[in-house]
Amino acid sequence: MRLGLVIDIDTCVGCHACATACKQWNTSGTTGPLTDYRPYGENPSGVWFNRIRHYEIGDYPNNKTINFPMSCMHCEDADCVTVCPTGASYKRAEDGVVLVDQTKCMGCNYCSWACPYGARELDRESGTMKKCTLCIDRIYDEELEEIDRQPACVITCPAHARYFGDFDDPNSEVSKLVRERAGMQLMPELGYNPTNRYLPPRLTTPIPTDDVRKTDLISSVKQWVNKAIAR
Amino acid sequence: MSALPEFENHKKQEIHYSTCYMCACRCGIKVTVEDNKVRFIQGNRNHPINKGVLCAKGNSGIMKQQSPAKLPGPMRRKPGTERGAGEFEPISWDEALDTLTKRLEHIRATDPKKLAFFTGRDQMQALTGMWATQFGTINWAAHGGFCSVNMAAGGLYTMGHAFWEFGDPDWDRTKYFMMWGVAEDHASNPIKIGLEKLKRRGAKFVGVNPVRTGYQAIADEWVGVRPGTDAMLALSFVHVLLKNDQFDWEFLIRYTNSPWLVVNTPGQKGDGLFYRDENGKPMAWDMDKDAAVDATQPEIKPALFGEYTAPDGTPVKTAMTIMAEKYLDEQYSPENASKVTGVPAETIERLALEMAHVAFKETITVDVEWTDVHGRKHDKFVGRPVSMHAMRGISAHSNGFQACRAIHMVQILLGSVDVPGGHLAKPPYPKHIPPAIKPAKEMSPNTPLKSPPLGFPKAPEDLVIDADGNPLRIDKAYSWDAPMANHGLMHMVITNAVKGDPYPIDTLIFFMANMSWNSTMNTKEIQDMLRAKDESGEYKIPFLVVADAFHSEMVNFADLVIPDTTYLERYDTISMLDRPISEPDTAADSIRQPILKPEGDVRPWQEVLVELASRLKFPAFTREDGSRKFADYKDFIVNFEKEPGIGFLSGWRLDENGNEVHLRGKPNPKQWERYQENQAFFAYHLPENTRYYRFANKDYLELAKHAGWVGSTDPIIMELYSETLQKFRLAGMGLYDGPMPTQEHHKQRLRDYFTPLPEQYKPLEQSRINEDEYPFHAVNQRPMFMYHSWDSQNVWLRQIMSQNFLYMNRQQAAEMGIADKSWVWVESHNGKIRVQVKLMEGVEPNTVWTWNAIGKQSGAWGLKKGANESTKGFLMNHLISELLPKKGDANDNVTNSDPVTGQAAWYDLRVKITPAAPGEEGSWPTFDTIKPLPGMKESPDVLRYHAHEPVRLVRDMKDVLTRGEKWRKD
Amino acid sequence: MHPAFSVIFFTVTSGAGFGLFTLLAILHVFGLVDMTQETVLWAGIIGLVLVAVGLMSSTFHLANPKNAWRAFFRFKTSWLSREGVFAVLFYPFALLYLLGVFLQGAEINGFFKAMGILGAILAVITIFSTGMIYGCLKTIRQWNTALTPANYIFMGLALGGLLMVSALSYQDGADVMGVTGLTVTLLAIAALAKAVYYFWVAKVTGPTINTATGFTRAAVRLLDTGHTAGTFLTEEFGYEPDHSVVTALKTLVFALGFGLPILLLALVLAGQAGPGMALWATVSAFLGIIAERWLFFAEARHVVNLYHGAQHT
Repeated sequence: MRLGLVIDIDTCVGCHACATACKQWNTSGTTGPLTDYRPYGENPSGVWFNRIRHYEIGDYPNNKTINFPMSCMHCEDADCVTVCPTGASYKRAEDGVVLVDQTKCMGCNYCSWACPYGARELDRESGTMKKCTLCIDRIYDEELEEIDRQPACVITCPAHARYFGDFDDPNSEVSKLVRERAGMQLMPELGYNPTNRYLPPRLTTPIPTDDVRKTDLISSVKQWVNKAIAR
Repeated sequence: MSALPEFENHKKQEIHYSTCYMCACRCGIKVTVEDNKVRFIQGNRNHPINKGVLCAKGNSGIMKQQSPAKLPGPMRRKPGTERGAGEFEPISWDEALDTLTKRLEHIRATDPKKLAFFTGRDQMQALTGMWATQFGTINWAAHGGFCSVNMAAGGLYTMGHAFWEFGDPDWDRTKYFMMWGVAEDHASNPIKIGLEKLKRRGAKFVGVNPVRTGYQAIADEWVGVRPGTDAMLALSFVHVLLKNDQFDWEFLIRYTNSPWLVVNTPGQKGDGLFYRDENGKPMAWDMDKDAAVDATQPEIKPALFGEYTAPDGTPVKTAMTIMAEKYLDEQYSPENASKVTGVPAETIERLALEMAHVAFKETITVDVEWTDVHGRKHDKFVGRPVSMHAMRGISAHSNGFQACRAIHMVQILLGSVDVPGGHLAKPPYPKHIPPAIKPAKEMSPNTPLKSPPLGFPKAPEDLVIDADGNPLRIDKAYSWDAPMANHGLMHMVITNAVKGDPYPIDTLIFFMANMSWNSTMNTKEIQDMLRAKDESGEYKIPFLVVADAFHSEMVNFADLVIPDTTYLERYDTISMLDRPISEPDTAADSIRQPILKPEGDVRPWQEVLVELASRLKFPAFTREDGSRKFADYKDFIVNFEKEPGIGFLSGWRLDENGNEVHLRGKPNPKQWERYQENQAFFAYHLPENTRYYRFANKDYLELAKHAGWVGSTDPIIMELYSETLQKFRLAGMGLYDGPMPTQEHHKQRLRDYFTPLPEQYKPLEQSRINEDEYPFHAVNQRPMFMYHSWDSQNVWLRQIMSQNFLYMNRQQAAEMGIADKSWVWVESHNGKIRVQVKLMEGVEPNTVWTWNAIGKQSGAWGLKKGANESTKGFLMNHLISELLPKKGDANDNVTNSDPVTGQAAWYDLRVKITPAAPGEEGSWPTFDTIKPLPGMKESPDVLRYHAHEPVRLVRDMKDVLTRGEKWRKD
Repeated sequence: MHPAFSVIFFTVTSGAGFGLFTLLAILHVFGLVDMTQETVLWAGIIGLVLVAVGLMSSTFHLANPKNAWRAFFRFKTSWLSREGVFAVLFYPFALLYLLGVFLQGAEINGFFKAMGILGAILAVITIFSTGMIYGCLKTIRQWNTALTPANYIFMGLALGGLLMVSALSYQDGADVMGVTGLTVTLLAIAALAKAVYYFWVAKVTGPTINTATGFTRAAVRLLDTGHTAGTFLTEEFGYEPDHSVVTALKTLVFALGFGLPILLLALVLAGQAGPGMALWATVSAFLGIIAERWLFFAEARHVVNLYHGAQHT
């Protein structure tokens, strides 16, 4: 089993719901609390597992705005795990979820250096590295309804831009989406083989207008002949 | 799989359902609580609005609850201190209520209009409006006057429902969706859900907006229109549709007033009004009879086009003829529209034809038998799958009402209103045009008003003016300044009250309205006005009461502070009488219920209102023997009936036999329990044959009348041509039999802006300033994660944004030598501000914009000194005047608002931009730091919220020592 | 990358310590230079102290040092863990070797000689591991090169050489010419390797904002990072040194780190100065190499910066 997310760039409106849902669930979750620094002061900051960035593609007027949520990609070749000296960082053999054992981490930041996607953030209060757990404390909780056994970000996404599933299963929704919509990896050239995929914007087909275009355009009301339409 | 620990102690947790209040979307929430702490707030999957999803605000509810800015208890301004100095002392609830009761009792017994009661982004206007009605003051409104009235009025005076929250696109069927403006809207989550649905189906999404962010980001096509020119774009679409003979003849003839005959006697009384028979019925020209006939009858064959002479010799034309003559004119050609809107002519033409193609060549049907209002059976609903949505942008321009009507005109020509794939009404809409409530104008002591303070004028007779034509309302709504101000003009209350124009008031109550900061125009001067005193040393607004849950900039100016609870601590109703949570196919309302115990000595504002109503002995709250009728808010909600069988909540009422029925029925003492059992909402799914064509759908209209949504089962006839507007216009021309303005500027406004068919006109501010001196349009929008959330001090949301920038087009800025992240001065006719610039691609080059309401006054909302909101964030409000730019004429003292509806025109702003001198950094103007309130919690430096101690997942040591690089177990 | 002082100090001092020990053990065990018992012990102790101080300072940047002991467990995959293991493993051999010198004087038996050589090998491996901590990171193209461990080794040995000459300058009548010559050679190689590195690093390669976002057919620009204030990521990776500072420091690296020490040692070789001049050369080299190490971190551009708006690293 190889669990991860598919993120649909075509529908993400950049609302940050996934980011705050993540923060909300995980601050009371297994690696919580997620500390906030200077919450009411200058330069408020904190530990987040999921951040939404916004980009513009192309120059005006041929520009497109892209909303871009990023969290741990749960890479197939996760260097953050390879480099960890303590064994706190690990990739679960059962499902490929990359986790940080909070009881073992020494806070050397080395794993964050190895991560190209900015998925890891040090909690300066606990001194430990924190990151997306894929809501490991939800997805296997049998007390929850089955439909709720998904990461908080996926459940909450109003634009249905997030999908959770098993990439090892060719029939899973995530595998199908990747196949059908050319799900891409970010920075594939680095060779981390990230599990999470991004669905690029869909191509739109032009709408024909010839069949509604009149060759002799109406220029005066007088050109219309009333139709006998009963009210 | 290795066993996982039990992360959550579910036995300790409780689940409660309620309604979110982080914005105006009103999603259903499922709240998991342990030890009076929130573990998790998630969307309720069964809820009609959000179907399980939740936005960034809803997900940050915990931090609202944690806010140190929560008001601790009732307070008054410390005697001997100045208003606005921030010196308060705690008082008891008894003292607070006694003080208020005494003051209000006196006002009510002497001159009820001396109380002005204005509410902000609350969701209980049915209650507050009724309270004002019972008090007997016409000086009540909510914040719609600076938010949405152009959209509400534009829709309600044209098609009986509206964009904004009275209608939605048919997300499941539409094939072409055009969004005009809209950074975010009341239907926050439904729009997001809907956009994904249509993208999944391959429908086209066109975004018309000077700025490409948020929703427009995912548009298939972005149309970067110049602000304030949307009407021109829409009317050019009309031009192209007419030129190419692409409109829905049947729809126009059957469901609109376009075949009606209009009197064509220019310069004479009655010109431009509908030609009516002796019964007052509008007439159409029947092609079979070749005569004028009652236009409302079925089976006639009305001519859509034509000029005729009525039997009495009156020359008449069909409304459609007038319309076609007007819009076929070259003035509306794509080439000319392009010069105004900045949108290429070929784009305008193509978009219009794309819509025509989808409407007429990709017509859809829903095969359900339905009966029209004349009793005729139809075997299917025919749908024109083109839909639209519009809101901010259009709404906040002084030409927004007509722009909104122009957009509706495109929809109606395409036959895409309340049809499959089109724009659908949400119950209790559609309503008759306009809804049959007239604004109250008569007042007398200790007497309720005869009708609500806000309503829908149909003619100058309905204005709220005295015999001399002077305004009767403090905000001058329904006066010649703003005749169709259906939501009031909250943005004028302070200015007018301080000027004593039209008269001074005694007590001003604000609920949840930040009128001394981001919810006002001209912030700095408004703050000065709140402090202004007359010669005798009395405050010009003698008593200012602020009800709020948080320490806002407004609370700082209060004489009496009434502390409200948070949304997780109280009962509430989202009522069908007000702005319910319905979806197009579902009539729905909902409740809130207390989930957490409040920390402070606070009470829900609605409880306070019921208490005051009882103490003041409002008739609706008092038994004949003088005793109070309702024990509390819950009791009031269950037992109050607006008319027999209709109350605040429409689910689980009782029939004659005591059985539970929905929509109409007697009060049910178990009603709250039923809502609680049903996840805090009630949803009535409309039968399939009542889901479309509801303006002429017999079964629907009968249902709507039964439920009290409409007053009659008559068809709702869409008004492409507005006789109401023409009546006002005639009044401006001196050609009306009824009240007419005496001042020339009023006449001119009525003549120019009350056109019965929409026109593009230059936004008023632009027409009164030198546009070359102020070359940029300046607009603003709320980020999705803060839209309608009046607590951007929220710890999580403010991390996403605690500073706003002035966004400029990159190439434009390069030409001006303005660098990314540099500081500039932005100057309008009203003032100047210093702000930091950010360059971007996705903004029309003549436009600059910012995120609204990020700037905060230092010390408010629990923010510490130095918070980015107060040092680098800024408000555009300082640049916007509540009055029109001065020109030395009679318009100098007229509100800077849409001349039709009184909608605050805060999108009309024009500015110039100059680089700040080196070293000039930080936002300007700056404000004093607001003092903390007595009893307020200190804002923490580090926050580590958690509902319970974390249960750690520990990696096995054997695994640590033995695993190689491969993670998979072979 | 944010140049953390503790890490700069750690890599320079421990590198110098390992370098000194390596040269000491080789020169002494193979009898290439005549050294007194006192010289060997002093040089050895200085080496071990530098290593120890460096290793200790490396723990200062840990956010949760109570778990530092766990750092030895992931020897199988982690260069950081390996460095720790090798560094610790180095100590018993080094100490046994010095114990031999302490007990037997400058002439030690085969066992102790073996200890010295094994210690030297472990010292070089440890410097290599230190280099590989950075060299293995694909996320930072400025580090992800064989030049990284090579630079670490050459500079460690060069500093070690300078310390060795300095130590010998306290030994009456010691023949320092050979060691001085060796040190000049090491300094020259280190300078050359660093020059190659700077040349190599100036050429922009690798991921861009386009590959980072997947939009490769048009310009990609950051509109908003989604947070107003900095985050752990911007604090850790967002550091961008001023261009003029970089140029100035690079001059300093070559002037103080390599140029001046070579010049001063050349004076010694030419008989124009006594071996004591090596002390000044050492001080100069330390300053230069601290600058080099600061630049090594400051100039490293982590790919996460692409997501924060950098067009390339």
